[in-house]
Amino acid sequence: MLQELKKSHKKDFTQYILLDNKGNIIDSDGVFYSQIINKNISSLHPFFESFSYSLSIPKKELIFSCIHLNTDKGNIISDILIKTLDDDNALIIIQDLSTHYKNYQLTAQKRNESVINSQILELKNKYLKEKEEFKNNFIANFSHDIREPLSGISTFVEILNKTNLNAEQKGYVNLIYASSNHLKHMIEDILDIAKKEVGKLNLVEESFNLKVFIESLVLSHQVKAKQKSLDFELELDSKTPEFILGDPYRLKQILDNLLDNALKFTHKGEIKLHVSLNQIRANKASIHFKVSDTGIGIEEENFEKIFDSFTQLHQEHHIQGNGLGLAIAKSLIELQEGTISVTSIKDKGTTFSTNLSFKVDNSNPQKVETNSTIEIKGKKEKYHILLVEHSEITQLAVLKILAAKRKFYLDIVSDPEDVIPILENQNVDVILMDINLPKLSGDELAKQIRQLSDKTLKKTPIIALTGKVFPEDLKRYKKAKINEVVSKPFDEASLLNAINKHLK
Amino acid sequence: MSLSKKIVLLGHFGVGKSSLIRRFVEDTFTDNYKVTIGVHILKKEVEVTDKTIVNLIIWDLEGNDDIANTRPSYMLGTNGIIYVYDLTRPTTYQDLKKDLDFIKTNYANIPIKVVGNKKDLVTNVFLKENEDAFQPYTDFFTSAKKNTKVDKMFSTLAKDLIL
Ligand SMILES: Nc1nc2c(ncn2[C@@H]2O[C@H](COP(=O)(O)OP(=O)(O)O)[C@@H](O)[C@H]2O)c(=O)[nH]1
Ligand SMILES: [Mg+2]
Repeated sequence: MLQELKKSHKKDFTQYILLDNKGNIIDSDGVFYSQIINKNISSLHPFFESFSYSLSIPKKELIFSCIHLNTDKGNIISDILIKTLDDDNALIIIQDLSTHYKNYQLTAQKRNESVINSQILELKNKYLKEKEEFKNNFIANFSHDIREPLSGISTFVEILNKTNLNAEQKGYVNLIYASSNHLKHMIEDILDIAKKEVGKLNLVEESFNLKVFIESLVLSHQVKAKQKSLDFELELDSKTPEFILGDPYRLKQILDNLLDNALKFTHKGEIKLHVSLNQIRANKASIHFKVSDTGIGIEEENFEKIFDSFTQLHQEHHIQGNGLGLAIAKSLIELQEGTISVTSIKDKGTTFSTNLSFKVDNSNPQKVETNSTIEIKGKKEKYHILLVEHSEITQLAVLKILAAKRKFYLDIVSDPEDVIPILENQNVDVILMDINLPKLSGDELAKQIRQLSDKTLKKTPIIALTGKVFPEDLKRYKKAKINEVVSKPFDEASLLNAINKHLK
Repeated sequence: MSLSKKIVLLGHFGVGKSSLIRRFVEDTFTDNYKVTIGVHILKKEVEVTDKTIVNLIIWDLEGNDDIANTRPSYMLGTNGIIYVYDLTRPTTYQDLKKDLDFIKTNYANIPIKVVGNKKDLVTNVFLKENEDAFQPYTDFFTSAKKNTKVDKMFSTLAKDLIL
């Protein structure tokens, strides 16, 4: 009974083949390959072609595992044993292990796919990172180069505005002024983003009056709101400390960007800026800033996206801008270890909130003078200024600013090699020096001056006029004993203030 | 004159060994990856000179991260070796020199061709920039997908086998 059952349920998994030492098949059962007697083994499958030589080595046993064969009964994955016998004959045993190997194949497939995918992903990320880095460096350098000519435009528009112009001309001048200011801000935005990405964005710490700061900051936004017939409300909690230590320029940038964004996307209703104190701990005040509007709102799935550089969700609204404002606000907030969050309801409005920490300044500081009609302080009737600069635009700009004060003689040279001879022959009070000079860089020239033997000459104050004001540049200037750095583009006030500091 | 020669393809998994063979033997290609386990054996005749035809018996081995783990039985009686790496995956060529040294020690005097595959996915600039990693060892930059240098690579090896 059992024998019968066995016979009817038995499935053959093994074929035996007997052959001579030339590979001719003597005998076999026909489990996978049938009617093969008298044929040569190599005709069954290329596998058998590869080792006919070994058939002549007596008493040898070879085992091959996981060999794919296509047989008369279909494809199988098998283990194959080849054994040479005493009598010059050889035995081949083909064992079908397809089920076993197919399981293994499934696991291998999954494992390999996931390994390959993760390697490819890693590579893609690396590539993207390199691209991003390149882009940021490119933007940083490029924005930098744009500053120089832009500086020329702003300065001369300012000067032009002070000449005798009729009303029409004045109007045009104001338009140029506004456009170049807009351009300047855009470039500064881009530069900030790029600097943040390459880790070159720095914060300053100075004391300022928060209340005065906020009130003057909202002025321009109030005007813009009025132009769009929007209400503007400022809520300033009286408990916020008066003087705090922090970076007022960056704080202004953050709030300007949030307010500009609110103004941009609100067409009726109101904009509100709310400033309050969360708490003071260990002399650090956590201050809450909230900008809310009744504008077009943002869909929740876009809450993250709006902080990406160059993302503009509202293409269809034809709203101008470079889409960098929120990205800058966010990166500046993160730079100060703060966070920003957004809540919004479509067509109802949006609220941005951020908490920032500042040290409280208890030393009762003085208000810094920022008067535009700057007085020249020194006691001398006239001061001798030497300008080392090859750009004619900057030469003219400096000339105009200094001439208006009637307190200066100005000498201009464009070749750095002329500087030391002039110093030795004339009494120069202050040197204004471009850094990017032909032949010899400004900081190298400064070093040479500092090494002069004459004790007075070598101490002549040097003010650098330059567009290169990355931290590592500033370090270099300091090392060259440059007293002061005025960054291009500069205005009348920053140039005169810098000079003032060094007049005796 | 017709000769049978066994060659094996070695290299990490996914570098395109099976694809190179499929391109060479069947002139087809697919982007879908199907893992090779164990070994597939295919053959193709190559006319190396007017009179000589080499019957290449091509062993397509399961990919292996570590060449030392290759089953020795698969290597038995090998006449030629093709070592393939993937130009887009550094892990497949970072140990190139070590692997080739291993082959030279264990399978001395067997002709070998070293192949950087998937050339269609990289630029010439990339090849130039990574010259130091590739150039000293590589015989061919191939693409199974675009059929670049595939026949050339196999037939060059076939010629070496009958010398
Ligand atoms: N683009 C491109 N893909 C290839 C090339 N060769 C192979 N592939 C792909 O790479 C993967 C692995 O190929 P396969 O031949 O299975 O690699 P093996 O594990 O070395 O046998 C598959 O998805 C193929 O489609 C090539 O030359 N170019
Ligand atoms: Mg394969």
